[in-house]
Amino acid sequence: MIEVVYALWRRDMVKFVRDRRSLITSMVRPFLWLLAFGFGLRASVRLPGAGGDFVSFLVPGLAAMTVLFSSMFAAISIVWEREFGFLKELLVAPIPRGAIVTAKLCAGSATATVEAGLMLALSPLAGARFSVLGAIAALPLLALFGMSVNALGIVVAARMKSFEGFGSVVNFVIQPIFFLSGALYPIDSLPRALRAVVLVNPMSYVVDAVRGLCLGRHSFPIALDVAVALAAALAFGALARQAFNKMEV
Amino acid sequence: MLNAIEVEDLAKKYGDIEAVRGIGFTVGAGEIFGFLGPNGAGKTTTIKILCTLLQPTSGRARLAGLDVATSPGDVRRRIGVIFQDPALDDRLTAEENLMLHAVAYRVPRAERAGRIAEALRFVDLHERGRDLTRTFSGGMKRRLEIARGLIHRPEILFLDEPTTGLDPQTRARTWEVLRALRRDFGTTLFLTTHYMDEAENCDRIAVIDHGKIVALDTPAALKQRVGKDLVTARSAEPEPLARLLSEKYGITSTPAEGGLSFLVEEGDAFIVKLLTADHPPLGGISVRRPTLDDVFLSLTGRQIREEGAEGQFARLRAIARRRG
Repeated sequence: MIEVVYALWRRDMVKFVRDRRSLITSMVRPFLWLLAFGFGLRASVRLPGAGGDFVSFLVPGLAAMTVLFSSMFAAISIVWEREFGFLKELLVAPIPRGAIVTAKLCAGSATATVEAGLMLALSPLAGARFSVLGAIAALPLLALFGMSVNALGIVVAARMKSFEGFGSVVNFVIQPIFFLSGALYPIDSLPRALRAVVLVNPMSYVVDAVRGLCLGRHSFPIALDVAVALAAALAFGALARQAFNKMEV
Repeated sequence: MLNAIEVEDLAKKYGDIEAVRGIGFTVGAGEIFGFLGPNGAGKTTTIKILCTLLQPTSGRARLAGLDVATSPGDVRRRIGVIFQDPALDDRLTAEENLMLHAVAYRVPRAERAGRIAEALRFVDLHERGRDLTRTFSGGMKRRLEIARGLIHRPEILFLDEPTTGLDPQTRARTWEVLRALRRDFGTTLFLTTHYMDEAENCDRIAVIDHGKIVALDTPAALKQRVGKDLVTARSAEPEPLARLLSEKYGITSTPAEGGLSFLVEEGDAFIVKLLTADHPPLGGISVRRPTLDDVFLSLTGRQIREEGAEGQFARLRAIARRRG
């Protein structure tokens, strides 16, 4: 069982390593945000509290954003493999469907975490300053977040018959998760109603923890952030497994 | 010895549509058994049920004595499936595809490399093992899938339209491989096809139409059932010949290009009799034994349909999407 999960995980990783171009293009989105948004607004933004460089402030949120987009869109492989037949090969094999889902979650999360790690490693070139040890400590948390997001992607993919359908639903889901997460702004001073929405978004806690580890500024206890990330991964993982089990080929 | 496949009163409904309506048959161990029928007859649905991908609405199917609905895991370990459309990961190499399969089917670690090399040699792809599968032609992909089907030494191998879309040489080569498989490993082969010439490779054929088995026998016996040979006579004036046939022999003929044609038992003997007794004015004459096409026509009253333009269009669209 573990060997099969590893073999399936490795399959996705081999393809990720072979496709270097996608690793490079995955850096475009966070760095566009960092440069355009960070430097564009840096002069006019005054962060509450001490030590407020806006570019550095954005980096943890954009690392989480990288995971969000990458891991969510990684789930399109389910649609792809169903469309082109490979999924049938897996489904008639004597392996439990749970093993297939687990391998997918781990692979989607691992590739997204590698991309977020690369983004963090490159961001000092844009003038960002943060604790390197903190950033390294944040990687497992980003990986956990990657699993929840990939699971959500699988829930969508299991119901979709086309790439276009997957793309439009995922875009619809991904924008509010990103914009209502505190990735781009501090959440403490938000209007009450908006803050309430941000508080039910699991990504807010991930951003909070990563920012806490990297910059030492956070709104919640880190233990709470980790607990929420873990609960989200378990809940969405279970949903993904259920959706995958029900899926017709 | 256990039968490889036993099917009783199997049915599958999709909503109101009855794709398979109560079919039953048995396939002996080591047999090559063909499901022949037009597209949409229920062939793929049957194969999906036998491979545990679909639950039947009613009836039961047992593979090597195991019920497909209640012990799918045990069934999966014993079977191999080669689908209608390639089910390879085309961004992996041939060897990587086979290795994944070996792990999934729990081939003992020490035997994996050996079996992969052996399987690749078997289908003549041993020099392409390290190449990405996306660089393979359609025929090579099909052969690689057959190689993959061998890795775990299945007792029963299912093939859904194994040679659709392949050129004649590749089809012949695929059949060599399949026959060698039975000879060397005693594998039972269950295949679906809508090609008559392909069905001739089977030991027995079930003719399926509108979800029902309309005949089940050896290809020779099925052809025997039609019985009559098709005689085609070339003649500038077919009318006197047509009159002669109907008045003297009670045979109804139909006009054909440059003459007429008719069905008669033991066609070659009949021609000799006709020529010596009646001296009809003929430009030429030929006899053709009944083919499975004729069998299908006589059983269903319809010609078996070749794949329509719609299917090809869908395929093109899939290719375009893959490239896009």
